[in-house]
Amino acid sequence: MRIFRLPVRIAAVVRKELRELLRRPGAVLSLVLGPLIVMGLFGMGFTGERRPFEMVIVVPPGTEFSRDPAVYQRIAGPSARIMEVTEDLAGPRERLARGEIRMIVVAPADARQQLERGEQATLIVETDELDPIEHGAAMVLAETLSREINSELVTQAAREGRTQLGTVAPTAIKPELVGRPTRAVVQNRAPTQPSMLTYFMPAVLALVLQHLGITLTALSMVRERLSGAIDIYRVSPIGALELLVGKYATYAVLGLAVAFATSFVAANALGIPLRGRADIFAVAVVLLTFASLGVGLLISLVSDSERQAVQLAMLVLLVSVFFSGFVLPVHEFRMPVAAIAYALPVTYGIEVFQQEMLRGEIRDDWMLGVLGAIGAILFALSALRLRGVLRGVA
Amino acid sequence: MRGAARRFGAVEAVRDVTLEIPRGVICGLVGPSGSGKTTLLRMLTGTLRPTSGELRVLGESPWRFRAHTRERIGYMPQNFVLYPDLTAEENVSFVAALFGMYWFKRRRRVREVLELVGLDDVRGRRASLLSGGMQRRLALAAALVHEPLVLFVDEPTAGLDPILRGRVWTELRRLAEDGRTLLVTTQYVGEAENCDLVALLSGGELLAFATPDELRRHVYGGEILDVRTSADVTADVLAGVPDLRDVKQRGSRRLIVVSGDAAAATPRIVEAVGRTAGTVASIERYDPTFDEVFTILVERHAEQHAA
Repeated sequence: MRIFRLPVRIAAVVRKELRELLRRPGAVLSLVLGPLIVMGLFGMGFTGERRPFEMVIVVPPGTEFSRDPAVYQRIAGPSARIMEVTEDLAGPRERLARGEIRMIVVAPADARQQLERGEQATLIVETDELDPIEHGAAMVLAETLSREINSELVTQAAREGRTQLGTVAPTAIKPELVGRPTRAVVQNRAPTQPSMLTYFMPAVLALVLQHLGITLTALSMVRERLSGAIDIYRVSPIGALELLVGKYATYAVLGLAVAFATSFVAANALGIPLRGRADIFAVAVVLLTFASLGVGLLISLVSDSERQAVQLAMLVLLVSVFFSGFVLPVHEFRMPVAAIAYALPVTYGIEVFQQEMLRGEIRDDWMLGVLGAIGAILFALSALRLRGVLRGVA
Repeated sequence: MRGAARRFGAVEAVRDVTLEIPRGVICGLVGPSGSGKTTLLRMLTGTLRPTSGELRVLGESPWRFRAHTRERIGYMPQNFVLYPDLTAEENVSFVAALFGMYWFKRRRRVREVLELVGLDDVRGRRASLLSGGMQRRLALAAALVHEPLVLFVDEPTAGLDPILRGRVWTELRRLAEDGRTLLVTTQYVGEAENCDLVALLSGGELLAFATPDELRRHVYGGEILDVRTSADVTADVLAGVPDLRDVKQRGSRRLIVVSGDAAAATPRIVEAVGRTAGTVASIERYDPTFDEVFTILVERHAEQHAA
């Protein structure tokens, strides 16, 4: 009866697959435990707490508004951190441009006159956000501020038993202004106005470049080790450094080509700008690729099969999506889980790409240094290990 | 090499091997699968560190080969380890470049070496699309491309048909005649015949190291004669003949006789047979096959160990 042979054959395949899996404990670990550990770390490390907006209040000279930061801190609540109250606008703007603060609220210079003219007094809220989510949060905060100020004014007026707001004659106030004497207008000073597509495109590019670098190197070295091709290198006069430089150069060129093609498509088909200098952007691409290749080499040197190398590369991708700031801001993770983010090249890659492409300059240029340092450390480690492999530690 | 040994955990893959190979010869490392040939070869190429003992190739320890020395060494691994997605020409050119050969010379040399191994007409074909025999020849071309002085060849004939095996040995002989030194491993014991020197290995130990002729003599303890008679005969008929070291019965009318001097022994054997068992139908020099030599050596080695 042929039908009875069916389970025999299926069971044979199951047995074979299981045995293959179990004889590669490293692969099983990375396959099963890897995602579990990522989930666990995510659960433990994610706080969900938004970073308060560092805010400066600009009160024009001669106005009645309070100069006490505590007053504004009480009005703004925990979503903002009042850094100072000042009469000067230029200073805070410079700080905003440097990224030291994230919001400036400018009180209206002629609130009374505006109200007398029957107009709402306008609070100008200045931000410098590329991130559409943060921009949205800034708008909500601005609206909240305006509402709280309105509420404060109305309460104050009621408490004082007046029929007018401040010293404005009652006849001058339009009825609809009694509840909302002020309104907030948000002005985003970022050179590129935030949108999901614009903001995430550089991040996707950084993630793609890191994954490309990791996967290609990890597979290339593992394949050469397992196929025996490494013996060709072992016998030949080539040194570990020459071999590494050759591999790095190849993938750096590939990374640049991918970055160039992606940026070209992004700019021409999707309207995503490269506001910064192309040469600096190229340096950022090379540094991200350099660091990513190091991660790939590390994977290739600890993997005992192509399967494991692929799994580890996918695991790094998973970790990158969760922890690098690609989806959730890095600062919403607590230490030591946040340290994972700071160890990933893509964390810096995303930030640097977004700043160079969308802002036109890299505010946190130290990140380029970190990328270079990660790359250099991994390169040195890989060179040492590869030297051992080539010259017969086996 | 002197007292070379290599251990993998509890397994002693190569044990106390001492031998010296002169320049310009083909030295065969011969033995069955698992006898330690490849381990020995890998130690000589510097890809595997010996656990103990001393090895020298071109006057240097393989472990500390300088780049210049590596440029004079060629290695053809047992398995096909070149790149399947590269063409035959690209593979050989890649290896040539690894050995530091400049583009202009490389282009000419790659063509030459592919022609030498008979792959010139498929030089643009991907390595993965070549037959097993072609892949072996491609590997040989890659090992030869930089014109090494010393060539380590691991199982060049494994998996090849007898015609191709013959061609490979012809090519190896030509290289030796060119002044190169070749160390060739083979599990086909019979191929020892093609070597100038033979190191017989079994269980990681060196059983014998000599020329093929010396090995035969060594195994039988002298010159060997194959005696066939016209009537039934036993080994006893030669009992009184002087200078015979051994007489073995091989069938009812055939004797294998070992003598210190075959020329002097021949008339005495004819006379002794004529006295008791009719006449000698033929008497000629006997060349035992290397399978036979190897079997005897292994058995003798086992007996010595047991004793």
